[in-house]
Amino acid sequence: MSRKITSFDSQPIMGKIIRIEDECEDTKNFFVEMPEKIEGVKAGQFVMLWIPVVDEYPIGVAGFKDEILELGIAKMGVGTEALFNKQIGERVGIRGFYGKPFKPLENVNHLLLGGGFGMTPLKLLINTLKSRNRGDKIHVFEGARTKNKLMYLDFLQNLHDKGEIKFHVCTDDGSWGYKGFPTVALEEVLQEDSQQSVIYVAGPERMMKVVFEIGKKYQNVKDMQMSLADRYMRCGFGLCSACTVDPTGWRICVDGPVFNKEQLEQITDFGEYIRLATGEKKRI
Amino acid sequence: MSLGTIVGNIKLRNPLILASGVLGSSYSVLQRIYEAGIGAVVTKSVGPVSREGNPNPSVFALKDINGAINSIGLANPGYKHFREEIKILLENNVKTIVSIFGGDVEEFSEVLVGLSDLPITAFELNLSCPNTEKEGMVLGTDPQIVRRIVENLRKKTKSPIWVKLTPNVTDILEIADAAIKGGCDALVAINTLKAMVIDIYSRYPILGFKRGGLSGAPIKPVGIRNIFDLYEQFGDKIPLVGVGGIAKWEDVFEYILAGASAVQIGTALGVAHPENKIRHIKNNIQKFMKNEGIENIANIIGGAHR
Repeated sequence: MSRKITSFDSQPIMGKIIRIEDECEDTKNFFVEMPEKIEGVKAGQFVMLWIPVVDEYPIGVAGFKDEILELGIAKMGVGTEALFNKQIGERVGIRGFYGKPFKPLENVNHLLLGGGFGMTPLKLLINTLKSRNRGDKIHVFEGARTKNKLMYLDFLQNLHDKGEIKFHVCTDDGSWGYKGFPTVALEEVLQEDSQQSVIYVAGPERMMKVVFEIGKKYQNVKDMQMSLADRYMRCGFGLCSACTVDPTGWRICVDGPVFNKEQLEQITDFGEYIRLATGEKKRI
Repeated sequence: MSLGTIVGNIKLRNPLILASGVLGSSYSVLQRIYEAGIGAVVTKSVGPVSREGNPNPSVFALKDINGAINSIGLANPGYKHFREEIKILLENNVKTIVSIFGGDVEEFSEVLVGLSDLPITAFELNLSCPNTEKEGMVLGTDPQIVRRIVENLRKKTKSPIWVKLTPNVTDILEIADAAIKGGCDALVAINTLKAMVIDIYSRYPILGFKRGGLSGAPIKPVGIRNIFDLYEQFGDKIPLVGVGGIAKWEDVFEYILAGASAVQIGTALGVAHPENKIRHIKNNIQKFMKNEGIENIANIIGGAHR
C-alpha cells in the first residue's frame, strides 16, 4: 500500500530498508524506499532519521531517485548502531528534506573537499554537477585516517578513470593515495589553475575552518560553501533553535546547514564553539 | 494609531511576545527575533542545573493540523551558564522575560535569586511543563504549592513575576486564584496540551519520551476559552497574557478581545523566515485597526465581554 504525499516535513514518514551495502569500515549505505511521490532533494540537504525507540538524528542525503533514499552512515553511537542492526524489510522514519543546499555557481571550477560522513552530501553534489553537464572541471579531494575509512572510493575512482572528475585522495598513514591532508592537493590545484573556483566542503568543522582559512588566501576562490550539519539538532525545521550559531542567531537546520563565504565570515562560532544538547557552548 | 500595550508595569511597543521554548535557546536567536520587531521575548526555561532533556525525537510538526508536538523535557544549560546570555540581551536593550523552572520552592528560589541582580523585564514561572517526570506538572496543578512558590519568590525580586498556567487541570481558575493570592504580576495562559502521536507502522509512540505537549493552531480555541474565563473572573485584578496557537493576525485580536493585554507566539514562528511572519502579522494588525477605526489596540482588551 502506498500513500501519495508531496512532502515529508511533518511527523516521520516510514520508509522501508530495501538494500544495505558495506561502504567502508564501520560505514554502510542504506537504501530506504519511501512512499511514492515526494519532492526531490538538493545536495547539502538532510533528513532526520528516526530509529523507533532509540533515537532520531540528522543525516546528509547521498541520493534520492525513484523514491529511494540513499544514506551513507558511519557507526558512531547508539543511534547509528541501532540502524546497523536493522535488516532489509524493516522500517525507519524520515523527516525532511531540510535545510539550504549547496548552490553551485556556473563557469567555475568546482572543488569538493570532504572527510568521513561529509562525503555523503558531496556524492549527491557530484551527481548534480555531472547532470548539469556544463563542462566545468570537477575536482574531488578526499582524506581519511586510513584506506579502509575512505568513503565512495570505487565510485570516485571510477568517475576519475572515465575523466568525469579529478579525484585527489590521501590518507594520514599513506595506505592509499598520498600521505597527508586533502588541503595539500587543494592548494596545488588552486595554484596551478587560475580559473575562478568554488570550494564546497562537508566534514568535521575544525577541518572546514582550516580549509576556509586556506581558501581566503586565493584570489581565484570565488566562493566557499560549507555544511555545518555536524551539529546537534532537535527539530530540524527551525522551531527549537538548539542548533543556533552566534552571533547571527542563524539556525543550522533552516538558515543552513550550507553557508557561503560571506555568511561563514560572520559566524564567530564557526570552527570554535558548538552547542550541546543542554544549550551550553563548548569549545570544539 | 498605537500598537503599544502595558502588562502590569511593563510597557511593550506592541502586544506580540515570543513564547518560551521556541527560538529561545541562545541570546543570538532571541536578539534576532526581537530585532524583527516583536514586543518582547521569553527565553527557553532555565533551571538550577544543566539538563540534556528527553531523547529525540523530541519535537516535530503535525502538518495536517498546523501544529507541533514536543517533549523537549526542559533541556537547558542551567542558570549560571545562561546568565551570561541574558546579560548580553539586556545590554542590547532586548525586553527579556526569563522563563524559570525548578523541582520545588528551593530550586525555583535558587534560580530566581541567582538572576535577580540583573534588570530582567520579568520572570515567567514555568509551573506547568508537561514533559518531565517530576518537575513542573505536579507543582502547577496544585493550588497550594503554586501559592507557596509565588509567595516565596515575590519577596526575592524587584522584577515582575508572571505565572504560566497549564490547561491540563480541571479548574484553571483555582490555580489562577492561588497564583494571584501569592502575589504574581500577570498570568500567562496556556501551556501545551497533553498529547501523543503513535506511528501505526512501527506501532510505537514517536516521541522519545512517548508523551508530549501539543502546540500550534489546534490549541487556539482552548487558549481563547481559558483567557475568556480568566478575564471574566480576574480581569479587574491582574493582566493576562494569551498564548496558544496564534498563527495569524486575526488570532491576536481574538486573544485581546477575550481579555489578553498581550499575546505570545511560539510554534508559528518555528519557520524558515520568522522575520517575515512577524512583519506580516504586524502589518495586518495595523491594516485591521485602520479599517475598524481602532486608535489604540489596548482599548479593545476584553472587548468580547459584553
